[in-house]
Amino acid sequence: MDEEIRPPRQRLLDAYLRQLRETGHRPDSVWKFTSDLGLSEREFFENFSSLDVLESEVWRAQIDHVIQSVESGSEWTGFTARQRLLTFLFAWAEHSLDLRSVLLTRFGPLNPLQSPPWLDGFNRRFREFAKSIIAHGRSTGEIAGRGVLTRIYPDAFLTAFRTVIQFHLRDTSPSFERTDAFIEKTTALSFDLLHTQAIDSAFDLARFLVPSRDR
Amino acid sequence: MEQDSIPSTRLSRIAALTGAGAKVGLNYLKHYGQRALGGGDVAGLHEQNASAVYDTFSRLKGGPLKLAQMLSIDQNLLPPAYAREFAQAQYSAPPLSYPLVARTFRREFGKSPTEIFDTFTQSAVQGASIGQVHRATLGGRSFAVKVQYPGVAESLQSDLRFIKPVALQIMGLSENQVAPYIAEVEQRLLEETDYALELARSIELSRLCAQLTNVRFPAYYSEYSSARILTSDWIDGLPLDRFADSDAPQASRDRIGQALWDFYEYQIHTLHLFHADPHPGNFLIRDDQLWVIDFGCTKKIEPDFHRRHFRFLDPSMLENRTLLEESLADLEVLRPSDSPELREKVITLCRESIAILGRPFRDGEFDFGDASFMREIYAIGEDSRQMSDLRKMEGARGSVHGIYTNRAYFGLYSLLARLRARVRTRMPG
Repeated sequence: MDEEIRPPRQRLLDAYLRQLRETGHRPDSVWKFTSDLGLSEREFFENFSSLDVLESEVWRAQIDHVIQSVESGSEWTGFTARQRLLTFLFAWAEHSLDLRSVLLTRFGPLNPLQSPPWLDGFNRRFREFAKSIIAHGRSTGEIAGRGVLTRIYPDAFLTAFRTVIQFHLRDTSPSFERTDAFIEKTTALSFDLLHTQAIDSAFDLARFLVPSRDR
Repeated sequence: MEQDSIPSTRLSRIAALTGAGAKVGLNYLKHYGQRALGGGDVAGLHEQNASAVYDTFSRLKGGPLKLAQMLSIDQNLLPPAYAREFAQAQYSAPPLSYPLVARTFRREFGKSPTEIFDTFTQSAVQGASIGQVHRATLGGRSFAVKVQYPGVAESLQSDLRFIKPVALQIMGLSENQVAPYIAEVEQRLLEETDYALELARSIELSRLCAQLTNVRFPAYYSEYSSARILTSDWIDGLPLDRFADSDAPQASRDRIGQALWDFYEYQIHTLHLFHADPHPGNFLIRDDQLWVIDFGCTKKIEPDFHRRHFRFLDPSMLENRTLLEESLADLEVLRPSDSPELREKVITLCRESIAILGRPFRDGEFDFGDASFMREIYAIGEDSRQMSDLRKMEGARGSVHGIYTNRAYFGLYSLLARLRARVRTRMPG
């Protein structure tokens, strides 16, 4: 497609990803970035309020693509919550082979608990997806409901997902086969924890250890 | 429970093994403490250590357990207590989730199982040694689809390399004592992870053995097979051990026993390529015929080894001492450096073994239902372990090709004994 007839928003998103791939780092300034594209600063800020917001959209789009592809699979509706999460993680591992260099650049230096602003869209989209899996797991009895505590489940899934990403980036096995095994094992562990009383006990212990201001 | 916890990182494996080492060490300390006080019981010590090591290995699964099992194949390498513990070991990988099976299919064929087959069971219908079997249908045909656990070949290799020295130390064996044996067994184990090779061998052996009476093979489908997936016809039948333990009439037992005997005779003595894993789970009985369903472990021997190994079946070996001595030296069971007393012991033991193990061949017809026969075989093994100077013989003796050849015959005898079958035999060659 001719560069000039595409909307500036899409051109900015594509150019940003390309620049990350080519140079291994983010643009130095919005002005430099837009002038290289033949766009104005105004056209940038009409679409994004900062480079972080733009990058956030780049990653949201990547994860959204994977979620839509697994949810449209023919077997999806018959899957348990555990099978759904596994299917997503394997699909992400497969998709990320096309993104490996840029993932190494951006996720490589992070630990699974670090959440810079440019990951906001990615996190939001995954949490939304995790909530749908959890709701499904509640309905099938795979996941026990624990009132207020249930609210932390999406974040627990997010941490597990980020751990998988970091593992994948460090994996040196042929065809990244160890990542497949890692996905199996972490998912098994996550669901075992959500199914049993282990989380309750951990929460109870945490409540006991954290001093209460009321007392 | 879909997954037991398997210590997966190298570090936790080391930690678990060190734990076993420490436990063994403690047991030895206790033992020496007892001995200082005048007590002490070596057999009891082996017993305790064996279960400590076994516990650890079975928790690790994968490579370490395989290694332990392979050391137990040649029982003379291990103190009996270890051999007993490990002989019970039946390696089983944790089940694969359906999404991982689907991912493996997509990696290998670019399609999911349900895009290839009309139906495909989401959970495994049975475990295989390093993977699991799903049942699938397509156009009215039923298939057994074996799917391998990802990374199993790679982790087996690195585990063996890494675990070997630790394991040998725990078991009190020296590397050069058993190095050639370990290399041989390692190679067979790695071959088991190569489904492409298994497919080729399955097709080859089932074609070559097609003319044997009452021996049947499923068809294999290369279009649905790859390095990780192996597809054959689904065979409904009774596993050999369940058939043997059933109230099957003697005529059926004899027919199946004869089929087994003919199958091995033809492979070993004519093809020099054979199914080296006579495990009851690898055979199914249907309509009084023997179905061979798993060629994961096969062994090829050279004609020269075959000649030197099976010449011991010649009845004149039992009478002609010079011939026996020469033949043993030829196989490097005897060495010129051995002392006269050791030579004498080895020769006596070998003559006894030949007399017993060769009996079915010499008699022309043999009744494996005779329980005393297997007892005599076990007794020989026990005798050879009791002779401490045999265990101290430097280096491993005999050809490494003997390991799987002997395993095949030992397995065959055990299966026939379990079947209580009467079999017509003849001398090979």
